[in-house]
Order: sequence, then C-alpha cells, then structure tokens
Amino acid sequence: MNVVRAVLIKELKDGLRDRRALLSAFLFPLFAPVFIYGLMTLVIKQNTESEDLVLPVIGQDYAPALMRQFEEAGFTLEAFDGSPEAAVRDKTVELVVQVPEDYQETMANFELTRVLVIHDGSRNDTRTIVRKVRNLISNYNNELAALRLIARGVSPKIMQGVRAKSSDVASDEQRAANLLNFIPIYVLMAAFVCGLGLAIDNTAGERERRSLEPLLINPVTRTALIFGKWLAASALAGAGMIITLALCLAAMLALPIDELGLNFTLTAGQVLMLLIAILPVPMFASSLQLLLGLFAKSFKDAQSYVGILIFIPVVPTLVMQFLPIASSLWMYFVPIFGQSLMIKEILGAETIPLLAYPAAFITTFATSLLVCWITGRLLNQERVIQS
Amino acid sequence: MIEVSGLKKTFGDVVAIEDVSFTAADARVTGLLGHNGAGKSTSLRVLYGLIKPETGYAKIDGIDVSQDRITAQSKLGVLPDGHGLYTRLTTREHLQYFGRLHGLSDDQIETRSEELIRMLDMQGIKDRRTEGFSQGERMKVCLARALIHNPRHVVLDEPTNGLDVMTTRKVRELIAELKTLGLCVLFSSHLMYEVAKLCDDIVIIAEGRVVAVGSPEEIRAAAGVDNLEDAFVLLSEQAASA
Repeated sequence: MNVVRAVLIKELKDGLRDRRALLSAFLFPLFAPVFIYGLMTLVIKQNTESEDLVLPVIGQDYAPALMRQFEEAGFTLEAFDGSPEAAVRDKTVELVVQVPEDYQETMANFELTRVLVIHDGSRNDTRTIVRKVRNLISNYNNELAALRLIARGVSPKIMQGVRAKSSDVASDEQRAANLLNFIPIYVLMAAFVCGLGLAIDNTAGERERRSLEPLLINPVTRTALIFGKWLAASALAGAGMIITLALCLAAMLALPIDELGLNFTLTAGQVLMLLIAILPVPMFASSLQLLLGLFAKSFKDAQSYVGILIFIPVVPTLVMQFLPIASSLWMYFVPIFGQSLMIKEILGAETIPLLAYPAAFITTFATSLLVCWITGRLLNQERVIQS
Repeated sequence: MIEVSGLKKTFGDVVAIEDVSFTAADARVTGLLGHNGAGKSTSLRVLYGLIKPETGYAKIDGIDVSQDRITAQSKLGVLPDGHGLYTRLTTREHLQYFGRLHGLSDDQIETRSEELIRMLDMQGIKDRRTEGFSQGERMKVCLARALIHNPRHVVLDEPTNGLDVMTTRKVRELIAELKTLGLCVLFSSHLMYEVAKLCDDIVIIAEGRVVAVGSPEEIRAAAGVDNLEDAFVLLSEQAASA
C-alpha cells in the first residue's frame, strides 16, 4: 500500500509539473462549453428564426390574396428578377416563389394552378423555411376549397376524411436530451483525453528516458507500481471529466433551450446520479492507456495507439443511432456503453433501473482492475522491459 | 556476499552469456571486466533481478534472486545500465521516491539524503530539478538513489562511463569508501587501468564466458604476461578464437 501511495504521489507531482502537457490535456474540457454553446445557439437560431423573413417572389401582383397569407405569416415579400434556379443554386437566395402569369385565369376557370417553389433540396438550413412556405400554400388551398364549397351550398365538412393526429410519447426532457446526444460523448471523451499524457509518460516515457530499469530494481511488486501509476492517471482523467461535465451542464442551463419548445432542468439529485454513474470511466480509460503505453515501442507509438482509444466513447451513441433498440439491463454491464446510456437517461429525466448503477460500476471497475493486473504481469516479462 | 553460478541467457538466437560464475566477497571490490558486448550487463541484469537466467543462479547473501526477487533486491544497491532521471523532480525528490520504494520512513530518508549529498558533493544541486544536469551531476543522483537504503551490496554497471575527470575521481573515491565500510562492491568496466587500480578481485568475461578470475597478480600470471592490459587482450582473444 505504501508503495502504491509513493508511486501515486510521485507521478502526480511529476505530471502536474509538466505544464505544457497539462495545458494541452485540459484544453479539451475548457473548450467543451464554448463548443456546445456555439453549436446549440446555431441549432436554436435555425429552428426558431421565422420573424422578418424575406421571401423573393416572381409575379406577386397575380395573386394578391395568397401574398396576404404570406405577409400575415410574417414574411416580407420582395420582387425577384432574373433566373430563380441560378440564384437558388448560387445560394444568393434560400428559395423563390413563382406565381404563374395565368394565375387569375386558371383560378377563374377552376383549373389547377401551380405556384412554383424553387429550392435546393440538399441544403439543411433552408428546410424549415421551405416547409413553412409549402404549408402556407397548402393551407391557402384548403381555405379556398372550403369557400368554393360553401358558395355552392355544400358543407366543407364533406371533405374531411381521415387525418393523422400525432401523439409524441417523448417527454420534453427526453427530446431535449436527444439534442444532447453529444454530451455523453464529450464527457466520456474527456476521461480518455485528460489522463492520456500522464499515462503515456508513465509507461512509454519511462522506458524512453531509460528510467524504467532503475524503477524495476526496487524491491516492490510490479503490480503495486502499476496500481500507483494507474491511480495517478485516473485522478487526472477524473478531474478533467468532472470539469467537462460541470461546464457542459452550465452551458446547457445558460442556453435558451425553451425557445425550441423544450424543457431542460437539472436537479442536485441528477448531478449526483451522473457523478456516480461516470466515476469508474477514468479508471477504465487509464488502465487501457497504461497497458497500451507499455506495449508500445516508443513514446510516439504509444501516442498513436492510445489516440485510437479516444473514439471508444463515440461508439455507443453511433450504435444507438443506427440500431435504435430499447435499453435493457445487459447494456449497463458493458463498460462505456452503460455510462453513455445512463448520462443520456439521467439528463432526459428517465427512470433508470436501480440495478444499473451497481451493474455499470462493478463491471467497469472490475475490468479496469483486471487490465491493471495484466499490465503488472506484463511488466514481469523481459520482452516488455527490454524493448 | 554475491554468488553467481553457471548463468546462461539467450535472446532469440543470440547467446548473451554462456557460462558465467564468480563470487564477490564482503569488504572487497570486485571488478567485472570485458569488452562491449561480452556479457557484463546481461550478467548484472540477472543479478539485480531484471531478467531470469535459463540455467544457473545468482544469490545475494544466500538468497536466490530468481526465487525471491524482492528480498534479494532489498539487499542490493544498484546503478543499472539505464541512467534515466525524472527531469521534473529535484535531486532530493529522487532520493525520497526511491527511499519510499525501499520502505524507508521520511525521517530515515531525510537523514540518509543529507549523508549522501555530503558524500557525493551535491550541495549545489540538491534542490534543483534534474533537467539540464551535466553527465556528472546525473551520475551522482543515480549513485545516491542507488545507495539511499544503505545497502550491504553495491552493484555498479559502468559507473564511470562518459564522465569527466573530476566526477570519475569522485566515483572512485566513493567505491574505495564503500569498501572501507565493509560493503561488497561489484562493478563492471571496460577500462583496464580503472579495474586494476580499484579492484581486489577481477573477473574477466569474454564471449559470454568467464575466462579468468583472481587478483591482478594472479591474472597476469595466468596469461603469462607482465602487463594487465596485455593479459586482458590476450585472454579475450583466446576466448574469441576458441
């Protein structure tokens, strides 16, 4: 135990003095809120901006009643000149509405009148406004049809057949949490990023600066050395992860998320549950990093191996995107997968089976211990010491 | 007492040591002499518990290093082949770390550190980080951390390699001092005159085998030449052609 503590103290002291490595490690959590705030503001802006929208129209004089509908919906009409296709393709305008010259004539003859909406289907950012314009035209059509029926003494009710009525089972928090998919990724990634420098310096670095041999001639078990190094790297990774979580949550609370018609609240209980859920993640990350760091031939080698690990936290979210399966208990037993799920569910104010906490904690923690033990064994092998 | 018997070690197809046996007695300085690649470092690595021999054994005060590495290592002070230091730690912090790994209390470490700092003339660098230390300063820190637990056996792998005259002298003085304290000192070198000057007993290794053992006089007699250096070259060449 004394050996583990001696190694832990030394590695932390050594690691915290490496200012440059520390700075680059903690740049990641510090950028988290900036990134989230920026991205989310953009999303909110795109979803809510409808006021004083400019709508380029060709031939607005042909359909004054329709134009009034647009204006009432908040559009500012603007006469458009030139080739609408070219302008939309160049992205100088988002869309163009073209009213045909024979609008009034076809209307009078009760023929089908086509109002052209020229837009670029590959653009994500104009999807909302295009949908809005189409809906307005469609509504206008319904109104017109109803008026025509009334003029002939027929009740417009006759047109009502079946209509879909949607009932969304997702809670407001859940829908907000959907937007928050990247928070678990970001928080879990922090656990893999912040301790990385220390873990590599601890293993591959120790060999590269030829201090591994002097260390191994001490009368201590090599497992004890590894556990000390593991705890040091875990402490740093854990600190980074908690900072990231705190900043991400702060950014979320600062965002005007209610403008999306969504609700995001956070109670102290939720924060506590989150912390408990993610606590073993830095230990897991550090244990894998130490193992790979020892395996690597050089410092650079170690950096590229360990770098790949950073993508582990992305996997659960990706899997759930493409294979949307309902969460069941076994998932909580899978390290990282379980935690990823729990973060999302806690933020979405969903109820998690109580068993999930011990399940995720025990398997993740036990896996880390096992990896450390293997690493300790590895340190007894001459091949690893010599290379 | 250090006792090495019938060591053999191969790395892949390369036979590093074939048959190495020798003893190093207490209160004597034993020199392990050999060309680069003769098998000195491999023999010492077996001795300080870093690698395991295929045959034979190494014993420290009767304790087999392969059987009970930790007890054997606690009796040894080692300057290994690798001289790496932690650049962000000071001299004292190095001694503290290694002292703790040896299970010493902080008081013991404090007292012993002061002693070693005095012995090795490290007043000026005791609280400086080792980043940018000269070769000699680094070697002193390495020696001090090897001796922090006051070991009865000291194994030094090429302790004067690459040092300037002043530090080399200091190291030689240290070796002589350790001997007068009654310690068992074993060091390796490829420098004939150094070994001749410092050692009571000499072990010559060539091609992974011990080719001669004895006092400087005995070695000269065995080779049939007057000069120790000639004896060393002759014995090494005989081993190479055999």
